[in-house]
Amino acid sequence: MENKIPSFLIARSSAAPLAEGRGRLRISFIEKSIQHLAGVINIGHAQWESASRDAFLQKIDARVKVLFLLFYVVIISLKRDLVSESLIAGLIFMLALTSRVDLMDLYKRVLFWGFVFGFLIAFPSAFNVVTQGEIIFPVLNLEKSHTFWIYHIPQEIGITREGSLGVLMLTSRVMNSLALSFLVLATTSLPEIIRALKVLRVPDSFLMIITLTFKYIFIFTKTVEDMFLAKKSRLAVHTGNAESRRWIAGRLAFIFRRTRMRCEEIFKAMLSRGFADEVRIYKFSRLAALDWSAGICLFIAGVIFLWI
Amino acid sequence: MHIPDGYLGPQTYVPLFGASFVFLSVALRKLKKELATKHVPYLAMAAAFSFLIQMFNIPIPGGTTGHAVGAGIIALLLGPWTAVIAVSVVMIIQAVVFGDGGITAIGANCFNMAVAMPFVSYGVFKLINGSSRSQKRTSIAAFLSGYAGITVSALLTGIEFGIQPLLAQGADGRPLYAPYPLEIALPAMVIEHLLLFSIIEGAVTMLLLRYFLKNEADVVYALKVREA
Repeated sequence: MENKIPSFLIARSSAAPLAEGRGRLRISFIEKSIQHLAGVINIGHAQWESASRDAFLQKIDARVKVLFLLFYVVIISLKRDLVSESLIAGLIFMLALTSRVDLMDLYKRVLFWGFVFGFLIAFPSAFNVVTQGEIIFPVLNLEKSHTFWIYHIPQEIGITREGSLGVLMLTSRVMNSLALSFLVLATTSLPEIIRALKVLRVPDSFLMIITLTFKYIFIFTKTVEDMFLAKKSRLAVHTGNAESRRWIAGRLAFIFRRTRMRCEEIFKAMLSRGFADEVRIYKFSRLAALDWSAGICLFIAGVIFLWI
Repeated sequence: MHIPDGYLGPQTYVPLFGASFVFLSVALRKLKKELATKHVPYLAMAAAFSFLIQMFNIPIPGGTTGHAVGAGIIALLLGPWTAVIAVSVVMIIQAVVFGDGGITAIGANCFNMAVAMPFVSYGVFKLINGSSRSQKRTSIAAFLSGYAGITVSALLTGIEFGIQPLLAQGADGRPLYAPYPLEIALPAMVIEHLLLFSIIEGAVTMLLLRYFLKNEADVVYALKVREA
């Protein structure tokens, strides 16, 4: 049977680029913004879904997990050898496995950001132009060395043992920190994390600001995404950069107005519910035996990592 | 601009946590006094707006795009102390939820982008604009305030990176944290901002302020203070 759906409806999704490759309809700023916004919404939903699973870390109290995160992030930043970093990476992997977190998704993000923030930024420091040492991989041989102001370029340029060790160390540190924070986030909902910050004596009013901000962000991210999709659907001809910038300024101002209106509404709602300038976050229940035992085990493991 | 975990040693991130904490406490106290009961929803609104500014990719000549941090325009619209809290909250959410910036580096990122940037932007705007009512002068002041704010922020980030090899070295002399010395880290951070990102920040600050001056001049804090 012949398909009756018009071809323009099944040809591409609403988020797909228009007039690909022709270079006449330049809307990369819209595409990038939509991708960026969709990423924010996706992360929020994926985190919510994985944090509600019935597995090991999800069962642990958020206070224990927040203290575990902070303690281990500091340990990771203090360790100076690859063996310790590998052992910590192993522990994080085991915890992710027992918490039934989507390992592919977790490590895809860790590898990507670890590559960008760890390896890519640090890689030039592996060369003897930055880090002096024994050259293990010669790359270039100049006729003579050059000195320009405070910079010195040696005659032989190559990757040094000390430099590559430094890059490896930095990359593993960045990746471990990312894996740890993504793991805690994947197993704890953000409102719980924010509430758990109370153990660090963060004032209730500040925690309330973070909670409200997080909610506003998701509400308005959807609004902004709709704005971009509406703009994209109306575009038929090329718009100049200046025109696009004016449109963005107008939309930003519109968002500012909307956020102010929402703030007024929220404030009135707070007053109608009896708000009297005292922000109080509900108290936590007592820690269960599982929380205590998990907390003590992770603490002992952390002390061992610090000691080795 | 967001510093990830692993690039700063405790000798740097602990004092910067302290410095940011002091500014944040002062800002909270000041705004609670000024805004009374309204301060919680108001500051959450400012923080959400600060986050959303970063969601808008701006087309720039050459076919590429970039986004602003927004601390400068928040400082002009809502005041520098509000910007301190708004951008700090965004830095915390970005580090914890999106992995944008490290957890140990939250203090440093807050200091660079949520403390230094709003005050520099606000100061530059007041200095250049003065009590002038000329639209052209206000636009120039707005552009330069955004431009200077993020450039100073990049300069601070460059210094924080650059001092790491001096502060922490292994037994073999290898830097334990950010590997680039000041003579590399500083120009790398500052030049790319002077030539690209600061222009985006300046343009967003100017365009948005111009829009508000045309349509809702009464909401701009930097101009309200002038009139007062």
